[in-house]
Amino acid sequence: MLTEEKTKNIKIWTGNDAVANAVRLSRPEVIAAYPITPSTPIIKTISNWAAKGEMDVEYISVESEHAAMAGCVGASAAGGRTFTATASQGLLYMMEMVYMAGFTRLPMTMAVVNRSLFAGWNIWVDHHDMYSMRDAGWIQIIAKNNQEAHDMIPVSFKVSENHDVYVPSAVNIDGFILSHVAGQVEPLSQKLVDDFLPAFDPIFKLDPADPVSFGSLTLPGRYAKLRQDHLESMDRARKHLREGFEEMSELTGRNWGSLVEIYGEENADVGIISLGTIAEETEEAVDILNTMGIGSFGATRLRSFRPFPFEEVVDAARRYGQIIVIDRAYSMGANAPLVTEIRNHLQKANISTPVKSLITGVGGQEVPYTLLVKMFQEVMKQEVA
Amino acid sequence: MVSQKELVQLELNSNSIKQGNLACAGCQLNAAFKHSLTAIKNNGIAVVPACCTSVIQGAGDGYGMNVPIMNTAFAAAPAVASGIKRRLLKEGNTDTTVLVWAGDGGTADIGLAALSGAAERNEDIIYIMYNNAGYQNTGNQKSGATPRGTKTTTTTTGKKSRGKNIARMMVAQGVPYVASANSAFATDLYDKITRAVEDFKGGFRYIEIFSPCPPGWDVDTRDTHAMGKLATETGYWPLWEAVDGVVTLSKRGARYNDPAKRKPFQEYTKLQGRYAHIDEQLLILAEEDIEFEWKWIRRFMGEL
Repeated sequence: MLTEEKTKNIKIWTGNDAVANAVRLSRPEVIAAYPITPSTPIIKTISNWAAKGEMDVEYISVESEHAAMAGCVGASAAGGRTFTATASQGLLYMMEMVYMAGFTRLPMTMAVVNRSLFAGWNIWVDHHDMYSMRDAGWIQIIAKNNQEAHDMIPVSFKVSENHDVYVPSAVNIDGFILSHVAGQVEPLSQKLVDDFLPAFDPIFKLDPADPVSFGSLTLPGRYAKLRQDHLESMDRARKHLREGFEEMSELTGRNWGSLVEIYGEENADVGIISLGTIAEETEEAVDILNTMGIGSFGATRLRSFRPFPFEEVVDAARRYGQIIVIDRAYSMGANAPLVTEIRNHLQKANISTPVKSLITGVGGQEVPYTLLVKMFQEVMKQEVA
Repeated sequence: MVSQKELVQLELNSNSIKQGNLACAGCQLNAAFKHSLTAIKNNGIAVVPACCTSVIQGAGDGYGMNVPIMNTAFAAAPAVASGIKRRLLKEGNTDTTVLVWAGDGGTADIGLAALSGAAERNEDIIYIMYNNAGYQNTGNQKSGATPRGTKTTTTTTGKKSRGKNIARMMVAQGVPYVASANSAFATDLYDKITRAVEDFKGGFRYIEIFSPCPPGWDVDTRDTHAMGKLATETGYWPLWEAVDGVVTLSKRGARYNDPAKRKPFQEYTKLQGRYAHIDEQLLILAEEDIEFEWKWIRRFMGEL
């Protein structure tokens, strides 16, 4: 129940405001960033705070996204908590360093404000950028609204820096739909974040008193061991993410679910699986469909794409009669990325629930719930070969 | 000014690079790296993009250096160094030197934007380019800094265009301390790095070291050091410092400002297979590039 005092704390923030404020509360020591639409307002806000002394951070105004991620790599290797924000082409341009941060196992948080990829020039939301870093060894969290984006930033730092995990994290928010649209956000308090998020305690760091080398020549056997160790760490990240989400829910009273959020009929005839804002739009569509007398509908929203929520997806497939997966991206010459992951894992788990594919909302294409209601009914008729 | 004898003792004491590593016989960058780490008194963190030095460190369990090294992607070293230095500053450490140690390909070509960005921000780092005139780690391919007239595996008849001079670019960008050094003049090199560390702390510093590569340049390892000296004595590799854009010739090479005092260019080229069987006209152009560089130096000394 909201108290009188808490009611006064509600802010009307864009997704970018919500991210920037959560980053400030998380006390990063170094931020290196480069502007790109639609993530620019995050770094405008933070650089302004840094310049005015309202945020105690070393802000590096770099010359490219490649350098932005390089700056974060250096700061993290030197033992500091670090952050950057980017989108779209920026993420592609920094990709070499994104992989380096992942494969060097350097904890940090990056906000990815999801946007389509060139060509043609299009600044609006889709998930082609997010999927491009799928195999870079990062945790990938996807928020559905501004409040969730705000709450997930400290969780991502905490799980990344956990010695049992020790990989970087990306928090994804849909471009413009969240980044530039203001909504109600109840800010986390500094005390809550300080209690929730301990200081970064690096396992290794660059220190002349104890010289070590990062990333030196690594022969095949040891290289393979490094990647295997990384895989196992990401598997352990599931548990730590669940715990982080639970702890944040207890502290805030906001329950976002765990690795997935379940909505509507839990054991519905048709279950819709998706990511980000389109999942919130799906909730409206599910409510309407459930009044139409054409069967029962439910939804399961994935909050993490890496690590992939295997158990939760299997659980969804056991609950639903059939599944529709929404992808906001293509994989040319193959099935779309998210539906592929889901079908793949269900096959491995020997579950035969039909999984159908809906690709929509690409390049900022408007997808209101009224349209989803129609599209779900069409997709239900798909034959699954 | 350090004497040769003092430098030997300093290097023995600091033991910056321990015995035995993967450098080729006669490798001059390895010597230059040791002089540089000695000058920063091992109180430093080296950032190394993909280059020969990535390999030289070795692949075993032991670690052959007395300074920590951050190996990084090719185009990223100055930005990684910026992140490291900012983190050190955030915890109040102003003493540890953050050093980029990069080859000419990583500097003149793929890393140029990051170098210029770090210089523009006047990051508190020392950037050292060891110039071995090509991608030697991958077997002698042409870089932007490869000089005219030389053979590489991608310029098999000799490079037709003039090499990029990044030190000049750094002066043009307003970097407070820029110097050119030569691995064959160890005490001069040591003094320049010491000066960069002690007198220009707090801002961006750029030093370029001429660093012969015996296999890439096709030089007998016996001749590497002598050939390195000839580079300066023929006027090909001037030794200078620029403080706030004003160039001063270094004591060890000042006399070669006068073309009459220079040794013939051929004494330098004839020791190197990379200049063999090159079209004569191209070699004439290569020789003319020497005076092209000196004209720039005189202009920035205020002599023209």
